[in-house]
Amino acid sequence: MLAFLLRRLGYLIFVVWGVGFAAFFISHVVPTDPAAAALGSNARPAQIEAYRQKHGLDLPAYQQYVRYMVDLFKGDLGNSLRTQRPILSDLRDFFPATLELTLGAMLFAVLFGVPTGVIAALYQDRPMDLVVRSLALMGGATPVYWLAILALELFHSRLGWLPGPGELSPYLFEPHRVTGMMVVDAAIAGDWAAFGSAVRHLVLPAVVLGAFSTALLARMVRSAMLEVLSQDYVRTARAKGVSGRVVVFKHALRNAALPVLTVMGSLLGSLLTGAVLTETIFSWPGIGSYATSSAIGLDFPAVMGVTLVAGLAYSLINLLVDVLYAVFDPRITYA
Amino acid sequence: MARFRIPWMVLMALAAASLGFGFAQSARQQTLVIGGDWTDLITLDPGVAYEFSPVPILDNTYQRLVQFPGTDLSHVVPDAAQSWDIGSTPDGGSTITFHLEDATFSTGRPVTAQDVVWSFDRVIQINGPSAFLFTDVAGMKVGSTKALDDKTVQLTLPKGVNPQIVLNMLTFNIGGIMDATEVKQHVQDNDYGQKWLNDHSAGSGPYMLDRWDRGSQVVLVVNPEYSNPPSIKRVILRYMQESNAQRAAITSGEIDVAYNFTPDAFKQAQQDSDLKAIKTDTFQMTYLGMNSGPGAPFADNRVRDAVRYAVDQGSIIDELLGGLGRPMQTIIPAGLMGADTTTYFPYDIEKAKQLMADAGKSGGMSVEFLIPTGACGGGVPCADLAAKVQSDLAKIGITANIKQTTSAQLYTIYRQQAAELVLAAWSPDYPDPNGNASPLADYNAKSLAWRNVWNDATGTKLATEAAVSTDPAQRKDLYAQLTKYVAQNGPFAMLYQPVYPIVTTAKVDGFARSAQGDVDYTAISKQP
Repeated sequence: MLAFLLRRLGYLIFVVWGVGFAAFFISHVVPTDPAAAALGSNARPAQIEAYRQKHGLDLPAYQQYVRYMVDLFKGDLGNSLRTQRPILSDLRDFFPATLELTLGAMLFAVLFGVPTGVIAALYQDRPMDLVVRSLALMGGATPVYWLAILALELFHSRLGWLPGPGELSPYLFEPHRVTGMMVVDAAIAGDWAAFGSAVRHLVLPAVVLGAFSTALLARMVRSAMLEVLSQDYVRTARAKGVSGRVVVFKHALRNAALPVLTVMGSLLGSLLTGAVLTETIFSWPGIGSYATSSAIGLDFPAVMGVTLVAGLAYSLINLLVDVLYAVFDPRITYA
Repeated sequence: MARFRIPWMVLMALAAASLGFGFAQSARQQTLVIGGDWTDLITLDPGVAYEFSPVPILDNTYQRLVQFPGTDLSHVVPDAAQSWDIGSTPDGGSTITFHLEDATFSTGRPVTAQDVVWSFDRVIQINGPSAFLFTDVAGMKVGSTKALDDKTVQLTLPKGVNPQIVLNMLTFNIGGIMDATEVKQHVQDNDYGQKWLNDHSAGSGPYMLDRWDRGSQVVLVVNPEYSNPPSIKRVILRYMQESNAQRAAITSGEIDVAYNFTPDAFKQAQQDSDLKAIKTDTFQMTYLGMNSGPGAPFADNRVRDAVRYAVDQGSIIDELLGGLGRPMQTIIPAGLMGADTTTYFPYDIEKAKQLMADAGKSGGMSVEFLIPTGACGGGVPCADLAAKVQSDLAKIGITANIKQTTSAQLYTIYRQQAAELVLAAWSPDYPDPNGNASPLADYNAKSLAWRNVWNDATGTKLATEAAVSTDPAQRKDLYAQLTKYVAQNGPFAMLYQPVYPIVTTAKVDGFARSAQGDVDYTAISKQP
């Protein structure tokens, strides 16, 4: 296991290098000038030249790449062209909010996706199954953008059940920043008013972001359960007189968990990186919002920083899924 | 006895709760929440910031020597300086001597002439994106600003720099006065306190910076040292990029002011009695740039005139912008000194066709039409606006082939003098007519006249003369000549001057935004 882990972590370096190279390559074939974007429309030629020199944008691409890689190996992602701050501190500011939103969305997906999938499998082809399958189809086919605006309009504007964009009511004071996740920080501070507000603010964006995952998860659980439920050992268990609940949750669900786990891993990765639209609409101060404004501002170092972090997160989650495989299925061992 | 305790406790809890509710009510009434797209905020250092969003934040936290009275930007009035005298130097330059009034920084220290000197020299030493206003436009150097005594500060300007322009420029946040003693204590790695100033303020304005949570909010609280306490004690600028999100939040009352309504949503807001839809001024101009260099498609001024007659400004403003613009045809927009609102080119297709024929282009011509992605002034998608222009030009035989790029890429091409026809926007760098006249009329300024290859001796001469004229009447006269001349000969077909739509709830009183983007938060109050 240890050797496996080390080997996989070794691969990780190559993955990150590949992602970094791709991001660098793409950002340098785009026929546009970050200096022009940073300085705005009024800038005179002399100003632009000075800016390009200051940020090394006048060097040939391969020299810029070497520079970037050398810094990267020193753990320095460089400075953002736009905010002028080290990209690492920008990411430190923005990442926790995304993590909070992603975990919220994942929690929603698991809480709703798994039981509905189980129910649909147990009531295969009956009305209940049909309802779940239609909902799952809708959830999978609805664009996040549209769903977000609709949810905001309905549950916030019209019905007033849930708060609007942002992480916390503007009339409350933010708790002292510890983790950067508002819900957690409010709990640590023991500020229950802020905690309540933060949780309520999290609901809409988390549900919107998690809708697609919930749908996918429900469908995955359903089909995995159906397959397992038709297996001999389930029939045997039933024949032995094992109670229905134990058969479903102990015999079937645990075995159906394996394919579901794979999906959850990749879902978590895509949630982390796919929060761009949700964050923009819900004014969520996460790396999705950061990535959007960086991309619009042609802030290439920042965009590359986000890409690297996303690639790293994706790889780590996949590694975690592989490790969990062994936990769930004793037959799997890694050497 | 124990039995009676419970109701007492309940009563006390109720009383406490209602008291808390009362506090919450008055806290709401004293808090102004503004939703907007503040993603261009990168610094809150007045000596460095050169973006749109920081303008109202910095103008409310830092006093400048002079300011514009509210939304009237035609003359300056006292801010930290109660009066000033303009003098001259033996070598043909000039001096402005400011007499400071008594004011106190939010740190508790008095505002002195030494603070002004340090703040101004600091701008030049940091040499940030806005420093060219001091160094190039005003010709200032370290040492140009001197403290004559604690309350008198003198600015020496070289020959050829107009003190009237410098006064207008000092209203901008670059002229913000900071507590030198305080900021010096927070310098890290020779950064002149830039890093510290992103999370703290050290000014003498009515408010001070409480916190800036990147991507989330900027919070200002009232400056306890300010002489005249305002009704709004806390101003919160919440990041809300999406206009739909802003609309939802203002309908529910979660925000009081929304900055980014689309023209459609703004139209609806005008009908809504719970909301106030305010059209605020801008100095922006949306225009067509025509390459007028030798051999270029628009080298002949008759072709440029034809374009100016062929563009249907009225229907662009009414139909595309939903009224969020005003017609303009000259290079100095309404609101600035020297503004010329004459209609030199009424919509006239026949005349335009005749001009094309006179220029030998009756067979038509084809040009590349460079346009940016996203929204143009007034919130209309640039692609829609370009399509309208394209159809107007088609009527006089000009085939405009639209090429849409990001604005950064557009400006890269435009700066290389390589655009044939371009849809673009312009705002002056500082609120003085010269902020437009010199870049738009003087080829040597290497700005818009240059980008459109319009090298015209009269334009250059008039712009240069007006720039240095210190006699307001003469200046006004020169700008009258210049605006007319450029309107009829220049490389531009102006489309409109956008107005900036702002929506507030009906409970908000006194909200006004100047064309420069400044908002006086002290003038605002909120009904319960």
